[in-house]
Amino acid sequence: MSGASSQTVTRFAVAQDLPGWVPYLAVALGAASVALLVVELTRGERGRRLLVALTGALSAAALVLAVLRPVRVAASETAVGPRVVVLADTSRSLALVDDGAPRTAARDRAIEAVRKAASGARVTVLGFGEGPPSTLTAGSATAHRSDLRAALSAVAASADERPAAVVVVSDGRLDDPPEDASDDALRALLPGTHIHTVATTRRVPRDASVRRVSAAGAVAHVALPLTVEVGCAGGLACSELTVIARELRDDGPPALLASGVAKVRDGKARLDLTVTFERAGPRVLEVSVAAPEGDEIPENDRRFLTFNVARERIRVLHVAGRPTNDVRALRQWLKSDASVDLVAFFILRTPTDNPNARNDELALIPFPVDELFSEHLPSFDAVVLQDFDAQPYNMERHLPALAKYVRAGGGVIMVGGPNSFVAGGYADTPLAEVLPVTLDGSPGGTAADTTPLVPRYTEAGRDAPLLAHLRKLLGDELPEMPGANVLGDVRAGSVTLLEHPTRRTKSGARMPVLAIGEQGDGRTVALALDGAWQLQFSELGGRTAGRGYGALWDGLLGWLMRDPRFEPAHLQLGSACVAGAPSVLQVHAPPGAKGALVVEITKLASNEPPTRLELPNGATARELTLPKLAPGGYTARARVGNSPTTRLDFACEAGGDEWADSRPDVERLERLATATGGAFFHADSVTSLPLPPPTVVATERRVTPLAPPWAWTLLAAATLGLSWITRRRNGLR
Amino acid sequence: MTSTDASPRARRTSRLVALCVASAVALMCAVPRPAQGFGDRGAFDPRTLLAGGVTKAPRPSAAARWSWELIQRTSAPARLQPTSVRADAADLPTAPFVVWSGDVAAEPLTAAELSGLRRYFALGGVLLVDDAGVNEAGEPGPFGRSARRELSRVLPDAARISLGPEHVLFRSYYLLRRAEGRVLGPKNIEAIVRGGQAQVLFLSHDLGGALARGVTGAWEHPVVPNGDGQREHAIRLAVNIAMYVLCSNYKDDQVHAPFLMRRRALVGGAP
Repeated sequence: MSGASSQTVTRFAVAQDLPGWVPYLAVALGAASVALLVVELTRGERGRRLLVALTGALSAAALVLAVLRPVRVAASETAVGPRVVVLADTSRSLALVDDGAPRTAARDRAIEAVRKAASGARVTVLGFGEGPPSTLTAGSATAHRSDLRAALSAVAASADERPAAVVVVSDGRLDDPPEDASDDALRALLPGTHIHTVATTRRVPRDASVRRVSAAGAVAHVALPLTVEVGCAGGLACSELTVIARELRDDGPPALLASGVAKVRDGKARLDLTVTFERAGPRVLEVSVAAPEGDEIPENDRRFLTFNVARERIRVLHVAGRPTNDVRALRQWLKSDASVDLVAFFILRTPTDNPNARNDELALIPFPVDELFSEHLPSFDAVVLQDFDAQPYNMERHLPALAKYVRAGGGVIMVGGPNSFVAGGYADTPLAEVLPVTLDGSPGGTAADTTPLVPRYTEAGRDAPLLAHLRKLLGDELPEMPGANVLGDVRAGSVTLLEHPTRRTKSGARMPVLAIGEQGDGRTVALALDGAWQLQFSELGGRTAGRGYGALWDGLLGWLMRDPRFEPAHLQLGSACVAGAPSVLQVHAPPGAKGALVVEITKLASNEPPTRLELPNGATARELTLPKLAPGGYTARARVGNSPTTRLDFACEAGGDEWADSRPDVERLERLATATGGAFFHADSVTSLPLPPPTVVATERRVTPLAPPWAWTLLAAATLGLSWITRRRNGLR
Repeated sequence: MTSTDASPRARRTSRLVALCVASAVALMCAVPRPAQGFGDRGAFDPRTLLAGGVTKAPRPSAAARWSWELIQRTSAPARLQPTSVRADAADLPTAPFVVWSGDVAAEPLTAAELSGLRRYFALGGVLLVDDAGVNEAGEPGPFGRSARRELSRVLPDAARISLGPEHVLFRSYYLLRRAEGRVLGPKNIEAIVRGGQAQVLFLSHDLGGALARGVTGAWEHPVVPNGDGQREHAIRLAVNIAMYVLCSNYKDDQVHAPFLMRRRALVGGAP
């Protein structure tokens, strides 16, 4: 910062002990005396009027000087130049290339030109983008926004001296103030301060792009109106642009959700599409245009957007093989939850049952297995198969679809009973492959162990948030179960939460009775017990008013639906992911989480192998720097120790919002300068800046009287006497 | 004849038989053994409630018959040897259903019985009051009246309401037009409904009387006035009650509505 110069100055003043009004009164009285004298002399004889006038004027002047008693002031003074804040745009749009060089190059040259033009001023250069401005690094253009309002607000609120002028160096493509801001709104950005603006470029690139995608909150299974604004600029020939919206999924190629043709008028077009997400949670949508030949910026032809798809209600399909106390308990719990939309089918009669009645005397309906597991399956958020035998109901042919449903993001809970797991014919089926446990369908395999058991928590079960409420109610205590389905080992990546106290799998591990796992986009739960209802109806249930049952299922269903309350960790990006730039993934593990943190990054709709990152045992809040990612959708799966995984889907864009509209907005900069009384320049024409004069500050001051007060009094008395004598001799009084 | 004396043909035959037996054994081993059930703890259990001086059920064989009929007619498992439980016992809230039946007036419930029943209802348990002393007109007998009195002490804020054929109880398995037991009794069923669930059912039909069957296989009590047809309807009501206990209001689900409306229309014309 420069803009200060020092010098010594000498000048005259009146006595310092006089009130401010006295000099004016004295001079006024002196002037009035002279005026009266002139009037008097002009009415009388001519005689020696000149002498009278001269002595009269001298005496009046001497009287005034006697009052004022003049002094000489010698001072050392410093002239301080006005404070000028240069706000340079650091948003990513400045990284766009114009004529072979990025806009940042023009910006940095313009800043140097401003420094020269304001050589007498104190110039502070800051970069603005997101939030308060910060020190500018030459060539930097990393901000995801260009929020000038936030920067100016921070300048106004700063404890530093308020700037006499602000110079904004930008391409004009600002997020705030918006394009249609009024002059009053522009003036209110920094009231009373001139804002000069410098446009880095005026060249419009040849570019077709998806400029904006607007939508309300997305709800699963509900049609979502999507407004897509596209643009075509720089003389690129395009009268129509085909727009495609696809969902990027983990389980296969992108799914086409909508497409349409936008008719381009005056370089822009707007297209309304409707998309429907089948699954709740974070979903990545790709919206693209087919750009014509000559497009200079292909990065903004595609936008990747993350939608946090909500649910109106959790839609659950509950299929039970026979009515039991366990089925009763689950149905009553599901029906008691207003957030659950329950569709239930119970097998009340098997082919061997004899109801001793005609069909029309029975309140039974056919089990619509084909309809449910083909047409309606995607509409469910979760499927509960409780003690249900797949074989008699031709369910086997739908098991591949059910497995695909899981991989596409659905949830399945298999609840035990005499007709479940191996006994239900699920071993060696596609559904078994997505369950968190293996099923032994080999010759001699045992389907159930009917020895009563009290399940035991595993270490992961004790730490799992989904069982935390149950453990809070019951501690480690669980009711005795009448038996368990025989399960194999837990699959890699899945977690056992409850285990059999004595039985072991073929590998020698304790047999899981409650295990959870992820497959593709979806999650599955294996509960190899049919006595969970005793958490409600048992001596133990009586002690806790039966709340244990609800606590267990609240956790199971909540985890299946990725309720954040039951996630073992929370993931979030430190800032929006930018393709080609490192991003930070923040992992918040619960206090007491044990073990190393392992994160796998998988690109959606791709066969690329996941990228694995690992951090050793450490603090509960951890940050991981992700590798530079290509544009697209990604899934981050994090696991702390042996806990279940937590997942985050996110989009990574090459340009993002900042590149969506590549045109510079020179007009907006001109309007900003005009509205605030500033001046507008192009980057190559900054020669001088209209700045206020410097402020003078006295650093040393010495006051010396021209004469002592008695001398002024004596002079006044002498001149008064001389005047009186002259007047008497000329016949005046 | 010894093996050495056997002809080559006989030896071939025996080898063939041995091979077949071995193959059959191997095939049997190849099929995973089905689960044998995890006991009958989760099965329907029409437990007899011993309370208010009632120390035994007036129709002792009825509960077992109820279970047997349920097993024969439906997919629901049931305990063929139902148990009994005291209202003041710690194991009352270990299953969601009890039957309180009697043919003489019940004594006032003790404080422990009141407390036990309140805990049971708080968990969502269902109680069937079956009046074995009802007269042929279906008017409550001394037990029915005393049970109503005592249950109003257990649930003082709950009022009894009448459940007609539109209630899910009448279509939880069979489509029924009225309640029937050993006596024809009233068409509707009195009930105490809490939280949308009928938790106490008052039957003035002596349902146990219609179900009771002796060891010889003969029905223990005649059913009046409609004989065997009425007994069949009583059994169907018992099945419906069991299904209501196990499935609650499953048949109220919207998915069943169009089917059941069509069938109701068909059955409406039948006697």
